[in-house]
Amino acid sequence: MLVRWHWRGQMQKGWNLTGFDDNQKIRRLRLKRRDLFAGSLAFGAVGARGMWNSVPAAAAALQRTAVGGTVPRLVPMRAHADQITDIKVCLRPFRPAGPRLDVERVGDKVVIHNYGHGGSGWSLSWGSADIAVGKAASLSPRRIAVVGCGVIGLTSALSAQRAGFEVTIYTRDMLPHTRSVRANGSWTPDSRIALTAPAGPQFADVWEQMARYSWKTYRDYLGLPGNPIDFRDNYTLSDTPFEEGPEPEGRTGPGDYASTGMPRATSEFATYGDRIRDIIPAPELLASQDNPFPVAYAQRAPMMMFNFGAYGHLLLSEFYQAGGKIVIREFHTPADMKSIAEPVIINCPGYAARDLWGDRTLIPVRGQTAWLPPQPDVMYGVEYKGAAALSKSDGLMIQAVDLNNVGEMEGVGNSFEHADRAEAEKAIAVFENLFARFPAGRG
Amino acid sequence: MRGSGYACRAGLGAGLLLALVQIGLPAAHAAQARTVSYYTTEQAQRGETTYQQFCAVCHGASLAGAFDVPPLKGRFVTNWSGATLDRLFDYISKAMPLFSPGALTPAQNADLVAFILRENGVPAGRTELPATDAALKTMVFPTISADRVK
Repeated sequence: MLVRWHWRGQMQKGWNLTGFDDNQKIRRLRLKRRDLFAGSLAFGAVGARGMWNSVPAAAAALQRTAVGGTVPRLVPMRAHADQITDIKVCLRPFRPAGPRLDVERVGDKVVIHNYGHGGSGWSLSWGSADIAVGKAASLSPRRIAVVGCGVIGLTSALSAQRAGFEVTIYTRDMLPHTRSVRANGSWTPDSRIALTAPAGPQFADVWEQMARYSWKTYRDYLGLPGNPIDFRDNYTLSDTPFEEGPEPEGRTGPGDYASTGMPRATSEFATYGDRIRDIIPAPELLASQDNPFPVAYAQRAPMMMFNFGAYGHLLLSEFYQAGGKIVIREFHTPADMKSIAEPVIINCPGYAARDLWGDRTLIPVRGQTAWLPPQPDVMYGVEYKGAAALSKSDGLMIQAVDLNNVGEMEGVGNSFEHADRAEAEKAIAVFENLFARFPAGRG
Repeated sequence: MRGSGYACRAGLGAGLLLALVQIGLPAAHAAQARTVSYYTTEQAQRGETTYQQFCAVCHGASLAGAFDVPPLKGRFVTNWSGATLDRLFDYISKAMPLFSPGALTPAQNADLVAFILRENGVPAGRTELPATDAALKTMVFPTISADRVK
């Protein structure tokens, strides 16, 4: 599973806004493929200490392959640029120190912050909400306000209701206009969640608490009508072996966050996935005779994902059914919080906190997904050549991942919230080409 | 010269056209649109040029916004009316343009506020909208009368 996380972490960074010629492209993709999978296995070097530091490392070492005959007949994806129905661009609210969860007084109001979850907001939402609501509960209010109605705001509001409070959400926008629904919607709990050094070792414990709590909560939404939460087999493909090698540095400039105020290399980003590998399905290798893809190497891992439409409407329905109220209001300064009737406020503005609260540690990380019509007979995801495709109930999601070979640095500091169609078409072309050669002959 | 006609009617109606003054108590904002000179026609025109250069790419040439981009008319007035203009000026200064926050000068940002006011039906006057927080703090984004809704 960690191979997916690592890959996902890179997946969520592949926003190529600059063109490069074909030779460069080929070289970079070749490097990328090798570095990508090498990177995901790099921690295996720690195996010398008698343990594997990542699930893929362990899987590679164990040489575990999928049981023969367990790869179902896969309906090919219909990936063509002329099928694009939407391109969504999001700005991940990344904070080097990790999400803001501290408590602040504004006049006679108590504000409990819950924002800045980078590329992990959906994944960590329930656990982060539980922490925020716990702080609110210690003040014993009868009523609680939640500012913001993205996935962090909604889960905070529902968690507060479940804890027995009357809740009103104050928000400028509702789903589907919030930035939350511009994500790719899959389980990526440590995607640009923090930088290792500024977050410190104590945040790793907080992260694990959030991740485990969220994972369990999401399991409660599995198997419901409309499949608000679902699993997909996700196939990671490579033309070269999933072998060990040095992790790409992904450097975009000299220095680091401490010296420049901005991260400069992938190696600065925190990874915590190993802490919960006991509950996350590990990847398995496909034997060549079972590999239906026209590439030499394939891994498979079940992956949790969030179907925005079904899940978003369900959360809203649950909130209303529990007596929740929503007030449309835009706040301009922190002092505006004084106008809220409730004494305790859980503050979930996402990226808007940068300007509303003047939080200059909030760094935008641009991400883009292209959406094609839903293909309900396609029940899997694929990652190949720096692009990812995932079949969801609201469409076939295709994402450029890693065309610039800068790892987690891709999109960092980029707040250009406009669709880049060329980028989308490049990613789609990867799968158009792949499935034009599909399926490979078996045996 | 959008807005000038309204300024004349309102001004003449109040008998104060040549004596527009900046008052600025938030409680008085409902009446303020009729008595305060918010901006000049020239300033709003400069603002329009800046808007088309830096803002229209997201908010659209007609300020209508898009699915993922807030409009600068309609709901925008609900969100900002009653707030002192320094807040809008501050927000634009720090947060906009989204792809390069803080890139515009204070004068350009004041011009943009003037343009937005004009596009939302606030009449032009004889005094330019100032480009300092202190001065803007005394002015309130007005409510829009029904006959001026655009």
